[in-house]
Amino acid sequence: MTRELNFESPSFAKRIKGMLGVDFYRLFHTPLFYIFLAISAIIPAMVSAMTMMPDQSGNTMEPLYSNVWQIIAASEPLYVIKGIADYANMNMVFIFGGIMVSIFIGHDYKSGYVKQLFTTHAKKQDYMMSKSLVCAFAMACMCITYLIGGTVGGLLVGYDTAVNVASLIIAILGKMIMSLGWASLYTFLNIIFRRYFGISIASSFFFGTGILIIGAAAIVENLSIPTWFLNIFLYGSSVNACLVSDIWSLVICIAVSIAWAVIYNLLGTRILYKSDVY
Amino acid sequence: MNAIEIRNLSKSFRGMYAVDHLNMTVPVGAIYGFIGENGSGKSTTEKLICGHLVPDEGEIKLFGRDYTDPGVRVRVGALIENAGCFPGSSVYQNLRMQTINLGLENPDEEIRRVLEIVRMEDNAHLKFKSCSLGMKQRIGIAMALLGDPALLILDEPINGLDTDGMRIMREILVDITQKYGCTVLISSHILGELEKIATHYGIIRQGKMIMELSAAEMDSRAQVFVSLKVRDMQGAKAVLKANFDTIKEEEGYLRVYDVDDTAANVELLMKNGHAPSEIKKNKIGLEEYYIELMSQTETEKEEK
Repeated sequence: MTRELNFESPSFAKRIKGMLGVDFYRLFHTPLFYIFLAISAIIPAMVSAMTMMPDQSGNTMEPLYSNVWQIIAASEPLYVIKGIADYANMNMVFIFGGIMVSIFIGHDYKSGYVKQLFTTHAKKQDYMMSKSLVCAFAMACMCITYLIGGTVGGLLVGYDTAVNVASLIIAILGKMIMSLGWASLYTFLNIIFRRYFGISIASSFFFGTGILIIGAAAIVENLSIPTWFLNIFLYGSSVNACLVSDIWSLVICIAVSIAWAVIYNLLGTRILYKSDVY
Repeated sequence: MNAIEIRNLSKSFRGMYAVDHLNMTVPVGAIYGFIGENGSGKSTTEKLICGHLVPDEGEIKLFGRDYTDPGVRVRVGALIENAGCFPGSSVYQNLRMQTINLGLENPDEEIRRVLEIVRMEDNAHLKFKSCSLGMKQRIGIAMALLGDPALLILDEPINGLDTDGMRIMREILVDITQKYGCTVLISSHILGELEKIATHYGIIRQGKMIMELSAAEMDSRAQVFVSLKVRDMQGAKAVLKANFDTIKEEEGYLRVYDVDDTAANVELLMKNGHAPSEIKKNKIGLEEYYIELMSQTETEKEEK
């Protein structure tokens, strides 16, 4: 049988819709996403509950927080981490998110499904964009479950609830928006280490936990770098979204997150074009 | 127009050529059997065509267009190394993802269609990881068939299959080309099976294409020979040698090459007191032809 061959180039919108559709389908049809949503809800609840539990001699620990909303965001921008509570807020989503992105992208390569994607998608930016957006969505959802878990845990423990509502909303929105920048960074790292699943997870973990950031933080402390400069980076603008944030903090989050997302997407796409993908 | 046209394509890994200035032409509608030993560059060539690897140099055209053209690539289906499915997801879910990826309008209808082609319409609910090897290969083909591909690239799809699995796969491949007008590039080690379906062949060795020919050309080149079993092999060989050019002792038979007339052999042997106990007329198959070609190129290489 012979047939007429018609090769119509799919538009950018059609291509990205297809790729996003696959990633969203996978996100909602595999347990990974739901496990990480649950982790994001349980961890803050556990942290707040554990700080109020008596130790073996019956003494109650010094509470990490004085206010429910400190479980969600720090009272002020804390660029240098001094205690666990400085980072044990919604920023922890960026740690869980890093691991989730590594597993999500790692499965693409491990299963070989990535071959189907790259066979039919000649434009490799589709892959980078889709992964960044879908993982950002997943991390933003994790921020919401973190908010729920942290609030419920804090209320049950009996922390104070007084807060500037506008700042709280800005802090939450800011961190959700920062998910895009973080997700793009993790996608980029996973593209670099795509052949090495373990290294992908480790690199995401190091960036997310701040093992690299804590090192940077020590330098920050010694050098007294101005905060406007620190806010240029993902970590800086993430901690800048706190309980004293104003609309300007939100603008910074939007600008920084989008800027880094674009940078990481361009770099990742370049790597995919220049090197063997599978 | 050719479905695949490759000129001067090269790909090296750590300074070693896996594909070495390869030229290849696959006509539209062909079932192109891509043959070569392990590590000869078959899979690398297929991955290059699919855009999984970046070539060092050379040109790849699919249906007259550059292989990076999204319009042509969306019409390529591939099964390379494995089916590329998520093991924890069902057959249906894996196929559904590919329909979304391709933006197909009637996904369920399309999934039913490809599952019917690969004779797996009752297995859509199965988890991919619980499928047998043969089923996994067929699911891989079903994935590749989604979205009406104009070109199918199949890397060793019959490897590891039992006789029945191979038969089913053969029928599927013939169906695909006859009913859907697909061009198929298929690599395989199982030359006997390939011979039954291929319309064209490409033989690759150490990354270089050493021969491309159609099945008709292959047929005309294939030598005819008569196999004889006699008690005194050496005596019979001596008698036949005086009358025929090429006589070989192979697999317990005396083989007289380039002879169509079986009676002439028998008559000659009978006359000389070497009555054959068994007589067979054969034609050299793809496998023998391939082995012969490989040994020829090896000899030429040594002489150089």
